[in-house]
Amino acid sequence: MAQFRLQGSKVLAVDLAGDTVKARNGSMVAYTGQMGFKKLSGGGDGLRGMVTRRLTGERMEVMEVKGQGTCYFADKATEINLVRLNGETLFVESDNLLCTEASLRTGTSFTGLNGMASGNGLFTTKVEGQGWAAVTSHGPAVILRVSQGLPLRVDPGAYIAHTGNLHRALKSGAGWSTLIGEGGGEAMQVEFTGEGLVYVQPSERTTLGGEV
Amino acid sequence: MAFTRINNKMVSAQVLPGQRILSQRGSMLGYTGEVSFQPNLMGGQGGVMSMIGRRVANEDTPLMTVEGHGTVMFGHGGHHVHVVDLVGDTLYVEADRLLAFEGSLQQSTMFMGQQGGLMGVVRGQVTGQGLFTTKLTGHGAVAVMAHGGVIELPIFPGQPVHVDPQAYVAHRGEVTNKLSSALGWRDMVGRGSGEAFQLELSGQGTVYVQASEVKL
Repeated sequence: MAQFRLQGSKVLAVDLAGDTVKARNGSMVAYTGQMGFKKLSGGGDGLRGMVTRRLTGERMEVMEVKGQGTCYFADKATEINLVRLNGETLFVESDNLLCTEASLRTGTSFTGLNGMASGNGLFTTKVEGQGWAAVTSHGPAVILRVSQGLPLRVDPGAYIAHTGNLHRALKSGAGWSTLIGEGGGEAMQVEFTGEGLVYVQPSERTTLGGEV
Repeated sequence: MAFTRINNKMVSAQVLPGQRILSQRGSMLGYTGEVSFQPNLMGGQGGVMSMIGRRVANEDTPLMTVEGHGTVMFGHGGHHVHVVDLVGDTLYVEADRLLAFEGSLQQSTMFMGQQGGLMGVVRGQVTGQGLFTTKLTGHGAVAVMAHGGVIELPIFPGQPVHVDPQAYVAHRGEVTNKLSSALGWRDMVGRGSGEAFQLELSGQGTVYVQASEVKL
């Protein structure tokens, strides 16, 4: 059973005792003991997953790390958030997924048109099962709770992941002033309704919605 | 008189008469008191031969000598700064990662190719670190720059630590440094895991690793 722990806020340490984890290609920074690294083509979802990932653009370069000892992972000095899954599903942008336990299944999920307009692509990565996942964020992420009757709106560029039974929809805040170039830079928002948790980073990716 | 941490990207140092600090040129952020900054043409300590050595070795980061009486703040490029206190042991670090160090330390350039023969030569080329590295010995403090935070991993005899060459910052102690490769046919066909080369550090000491694969 792989043990995930944080060494500071930017380095993930995983203790392995002969088991495996999946991690983003090239994200290992150091290890002690014996480790083997093997690239998994197509995000490690098998042949069907590979084709899907190619088609959907949720391409993920993943390697399988197997061995005895402690392996340290980091990605461009981004903050790392540990997420413990107990049978629920984590939806995360493929760019933000750093490492998952081998017991977790990964796949792609269709987000519809709202994904495309928000610049996150039409598809997102889905992680499900029992175990630990490590999600990166630019700056420390805040976890916001969404409950019935209390929807949450998030800037698409600041959204990184969500868990729970949530429905996402794209909301436009654009009015006539946006059309004449006087927009507030917040023309697009993603609205989450239902029950769950949303991870938001204190930084914005460039998205289509952020331009207007 | 060591460096005092202001935040994780800035350090301050007390300068007293008769005590020098060497720092990377242009890394002073502010000072109080009477402090003078002199460019160090030698690029460090040890006379003309050392200077030529550094030029040849491409380890000649421009340094300046800070002297006087006061407090000086250092920082560079928004990089994280990590302070290492040396107590008679040796720190090996790339010259461009050096932010500042106390004048009480002996600076020299070391040829890394000796460690591991031909593989040592390959090591420098593959890791982009060159064949030489800067060595600091003695009693005093060193401020080292890194992208993202730094973690310290101890190295014990018989328990080598493997480090991604891009994430390697510095090491101290009695440590041998060898390039180990996990090159397989997968790397040849472009299916590598991105971890084909690793630095294997063995012996007794500490290695400093940054939370990023971005070289400075």
